[in-house]
Parts: sequence; structure tokens; C-alpha cells
Amino acid sequence: MQTVLVANRGEIAVRIIRSCKKLGLKTIAVYSENDEKGLHVRLADESVCIGPRPADKSYLNIDAILAAAKAYRADLLHPGVGFLSENDAFAEACAEAGIRFIGPQPASMRVLGDKEAARKTMIANGFPVVPGSDGIVESVKEAVQAAKCIGYPLMIKAAKGGGGKGIRIVEDACALEREFPLVRREAELAFGDGSVYLEAYLPEARHIEVQILADMHGNVLHLGTRECTLQRKNQKLIEEAPAANVPASTLAAIEHTAVEIARAVDYQNAGTVEFLLTKDGRFFFMEMNARIQVEHPITESIFGLDLIKAQIQVALGHHLLISQENLIPRGHAIECRINAESPAENFRPSPGVIKSMQLPGGNGIRIDSGYASGDEISPYYDSMVLKLIAYADDREEAIRLSSAALHELSITGIEHNAELAYAMLSDADFRSGTVHTKWIEQSFLPRFLRGRT
Amino acid sequence: MNLFSEQIEHSLPQTGEATGALEILRCARCGRDLVAEVVLAGDAACPYCGNLFRQPAYRRIEAIVDSGSFIEIERETETGDPLSFPGYRTKLEKERVKSKMQEGVVIGKATIKGQRTALAVMDSYFMMGSMGTVVGEKIVILAEFALHNRLPLVIFCASGGARMQEGVLSLMQMSRTTIALARHSAAGLLHLNVLTHPTTGGVTASFAMQGDITLAEPGALIGFAGPRVIEQTMRDKLPEGFQTAEYLYEHGFIDRIIERRDMRETLAAILALHNAGHTETAGQGARR
Repeated sequence: MQTVLVANRGEIAVRIIRSCKKLGLKTIAVYSENDEKGLHVRLADESVCIGPRPADKSYLNIDAILAAAKAYRADLLHPGVGFLSENDAFAEACAEAGIRFIGPQPASMRVLGDKEAARKTMIANGFPVVPGSDGIVESVKEAVQAAKCIGYPLMIKAAKGGGGKGIRIVEDACALEREFPLVRREAELAFGDGSVYLEAYLPEARHIEVQILADMHGNVLHLGTRECTLQRKNQKLIEEAPAANVPASTLAAIEHTAVEIARAVDYQNAGTVEFLLTKDGRFFFMEMNARIQVEHPITESIFGLDLIKAQIQVALGHHLLISQENLIPRGHAIECRINAESPAENFRPSPGVIKSMQLPGGNGIRIDSGYASGDEISPYYDSMVLKLIAYADDREEAIRLSSAALHELSITGIEHNAELAYAMLSDADFRSGTVHTKWIEQSFLPRFLRGRT
Repeated sequence: MNLFSEQIEHSLPQTGEATGALEILRCARCGRDLVAEVVLAGDAACPYCGNLFRQPAYRRIEAIVDSGSFIEIERETETGDPLSFPGYRTKLEKERVKSKMQEGVVIGKATIKGQRTALAVMDSYFMMGSMGTVVGEKIVILAEFALHNRLPLVIFCASGGARMQEGVLSLMQMSRTTIALARHSAAGLLHLNVLTHPTTGGVTASFAMQGDITLAEPGALIGFAGPRVIEQTMRDKLPEGFQTAEYLYEHGFIDRIIERRDMRETLAAILALHNAGHTETAGQGARR
């Protein structure tokens, strides 16, 4: 019998354990001192404590996890999402220990994990990346020259900046010449480094991603698109599959490019290529996530398959049998992430014990959660309580099904964002598909908060 | 939907333990069962209450020295059976397989945050770290090596005492190690001891108490004769916490108690202080 060690916690660990049980595989859960009574520990065949609460001492502790895998003679290891899932050193250490890591090869992870290296690889292979200067721009003259290739409007970005700081948007060459020295000076003062670079400003862009599945034998398939445009501070809140309100030809081009990208980095197992889609229909590579994604269930819904099972099969060396033409999605799926946070108080996390949890159900509704009534949402880890996935024949039905399910959902003991999700699903902008990645912060949230008070 | 040409093979869960039972450590403080391999791969502390387990020598070295800097010497030295003690040879074989160690101490040189030092680490998983002719010999070799190379010397002590199977030859090691370390000390070099759980018997009565600086891990049992032996001899109750590192610290036998996670930093700081004062003499030593 094959034994799978699940090197994660919460919802994704539970998700993986459930698939393993279905497949008749033995499961080993690992847990920190905090999660001794966690749902994933209760469900797994065996469990082992790997250290104290802080993630770097437990879920990020490579030595302890590998020792647990060896001690329980695990054949396979699933890293889940987050934590060590995109750590190439961990994948390598697993291979050395004779344990099959359920994920891509370390070499691919290394390329994709380094933003600069990934960008260079994509440019070298002729894939579209967000236009920008070739590294740091030293002078105004150089900047104006680079801007001719990039086009306007564009952003001047501080190399050491982050979180929206040290960014200036300019509309034309005149403004660029005026602002460039100012941004450099600001960056010098704020970050101690005056290096800046240029990048095309893509207003009102959408986030479209493609699910990739590749076996060890060179077969690469895509499993359609997902739209994850509804995000706040790069945190996805609602996702849908397939992407709606995008011309079929554009979607086909995006899917085709994603497959080519996966081939270019010798990708194996399940992965996701993320693109920005602009208003005028151009799309650019953002990054490729070398792991399963949180929002994978919506793809599972429209294709009627189990991606965790597929991951395990790839890791076991199985051959992809089905051809791309025979992979036909059906219907529409929407996922809402319900987090323990208070939208009214600037999304302050709301950890605590779940006193009760009344879950919706029925045809087309799927709930993935790592918690049950009486469990505690710990401030030490992420605040996601559950994922509500609704699957119906078309987008309209899926939205109505999601809304109804959100209405049924009742969680007490903690604050959560179900009301916010409900409001977003009801919003005319969302229904007509005129949203973009900054829509929540710029347009929706102000309206939502005003409506509440 | 089936995407693959193969099926996942699985069999029914086997009854009985086909894979062999896991070695379980029970935490002496909070009573929880822990998987030995997992705990010992980390810092050998209970994840629940922080209680320290005995740490295998190589794992301790890994945690203390700069990665890849440890060079072991005299690894292959093997114990003979000088007294033809019944069953000793088979016991040694078993201990070697079980602990994956050649003997009860590992010696060599290493750097700790860049500070060069000679290092000996005793391993209580090999015959309770008892001192026989080989352990004694290796400590002597290391003291002479450190003297010759003008290196400070750090010894992690962990021992149940002299090795009974080698009789009086074990007791001889007490004076041999003491003399070798005294020569090292006379040359103005630093000898630092870290007493770990347990440090008892002939080791306590010789080099473990001979250091210029004596550190200890929290809760370590440190003494000569064990508490039960003393109680039976004196026919009296011993005070609470008798022979623990904390008790000895209060009574001035130990300079400082150091948490395991702070050990590397502390050793590096002490060695840096010592080496800073000795760069000149160390240079002369090299020229000679």
C-alpha cells in the first residue's frame, strides 16, 4: 500500500487526505503544537507533531517533516499550497530521501520561483510579458528611449519599493522627463536606493489563469481558464471557471500560450500560468505557480475530475491518456473564499473558536473546509475558514446558486466576509463582467462600506 | 473523468504492523508520546513543553558548528575487549548498529560562527556514553591535537560513568584525560565544558569538572553517584532537585545554564572573546 504524507494543515490538507482515502492510500498528517486537534489530524490514518506554533518551526521545518516521512515510511509527499509547496530545496531533499514529491521537478521550480529568471526565460522564448525596461534605468535619456518601446501610460517603479509605494504613473514623454528625477529622489530617500525601472501601466486589467496538467512523459494538457479578477491587495476573494466575457479566440490563445510556457520550463504535474488581460484584449504572462492552487475545485467542477488524484498519478509516473480535444468543460463554477476577517474594520483578522457552523448543501454545492464547529481559527496561520463552490449550467445560474448558498451559510463565534461576497455577486459590475483587479479597492468597497453604515 | 491510462494500485489495509513499530519517546515532563525519529531530527526538545531529550552526537554537531566545517578525526578507532568480558563484544556490535556510532564520543575540529575550535561530543545513545579505553584515548588525542594546533577545546559531556566491561582500564582513563587536559590548560588555552543530561560517574570525577568554563543544559542530571545510591548509603532523603544543573548552578559548580537553542551563539561569543586575546600567541604557535 502506498503511504502519502500531507505536509500541510487546514483546508488543503483535509482536501488531500479525502482524495487519498478515496484512492485507498494511507495518509500521514503532520501538525504543529497548535493543530493537535485539527480536522486534518482527526481524518488522517496517522499523525505526527513536527514542532511548535510558528510556521518556521513546524510547517516550514524541512528536517522535521522529512524525519516524519521517513519514520512513517511515506512513499509520497504532498506539499499542498503555501508553506513548502514551491520550495525547490524541499523537493530536492524529498528526492534524496527516496520520497516522491507530488509536484514539479526542482529545476522548474527554481526558474519559476525567481521572478527575474522567470521573466527572462519568457522573453527568451518569445512569450508576452508586461512590457518594461530591461532592468534598472539610469538616466532621463535612457528612460525616454525605453518608453518608446513600452508605450504610454507607464509606471516608474522603485526597485526596492513594494506594497504600492514608490510608483508613479506618467501619461506622456513630457511627464516622464519631469517625474523621473523626482521618483529617483523619493526612492533614494524612502528606500535608501534610487534605482528605478519602467513598466507599462495596464489600467483595468483582469486576472486570467490557465490550469496545466503535465505528466512525466512530455504530455501537457490545459484544463481551461479561471478568472480571479476579484481580489483585494492581491488576495483572491471570488474565482470563476471558465473566464467569462472574454472572446473565445482570446481564451484559446491564452490557453495555447500557457501550454507552450509549461513546455518551455519542462513542467510536470499540476501548475497554473497567470496572465493579465488588458481592456484592449492583449494578455501578458505574470507568473506560473508551481503547485496546486486554492481555487482548483472550480476547474474540477467544470471538467468533472479530481486534480489531487491526477497529481498523485503524475507523481507515480502514469501516462496522460486523454487528448486535449476530448477535454470538454461543461457549465460554470464559482468559488467564494470565506475568511475569518471583518471587512468593516479594514479586514482585521478575526481569529477565535467557531461556535457553530451551518453549511449550505444540495445539488451543485461543494464546501471545502479545514474546520468544524468547535475548532479554533488560529492567528498563527491564514484566516480562510472555508471555500464555497457552486456549479451550475451557466454563469447566471451559478451566481444565483452561490448567492443562495451564501444566504444559507451561518457561522457564529468569528466574524467573516460572507456578506461581502454576497454583495459582490449581486453587483451589476460583476454580473456584466466589467471588473478589474483593483475594482474591489477602488470602486466596490467604498460603495459597500457606505451602504452598511 | 479518467485522464490516465494506468490505475492507482492499492491493497486493503494490512492487519498487524507490517512496517514495524515506530520508536516512541515519552516526554518525561508532560507525558506525551512522540516519534523518536522526528524529535531527534529537530533540536530534540518536546514540541509541547520544551523538555529536552538526549541529543545524538552528530545531530548536536550539526546544530552547533558552521555547516560543513566539522572534520572528524579518529573515527574508526575500535574498542577491543581487554578483559575478555563475557558478552561485551556482542553488546558492542549491537550498540554500533543501534546508534550508528563507532564509540561513545565523536572528536574533531570545526568552526562555530567562524571561530576555530577542537570539539568533542559524547553520545549517550552509545552504551550511555560510558568511558572506556577508546573514549579516554580519543579525549587524550583531542587534547593533544588542540595543544599542538593551539586551539580552544569544547567538550559536550554526557556519560553514565566509567565502562564497567573494561574494569580498571576504564578508571585509568580518568587520570589520563585529566593529565592531557592539564597540559592543554598549562599552555594558556581555553577548555570549555558543556554538561548535558546525564553527566555522572568517572566523567564527572575527571574532565567534566576540569574546564575553565563550565556550562550546562537546563535540567541535566550532573553528579558522581546516582541519587538512589546516595539515598541508600546515607539512609536519608535528598533535597529536591538535587544533582540537577539548576541545583549545581545555585551552589557554584556551574558558571551558566544555557538553553539548547542559544548554545551555538553562546559558544561562538565565548570563543570569539578567547580567540581575540590569543591571535598573537596562536600565530607564534603556527610558526613554531
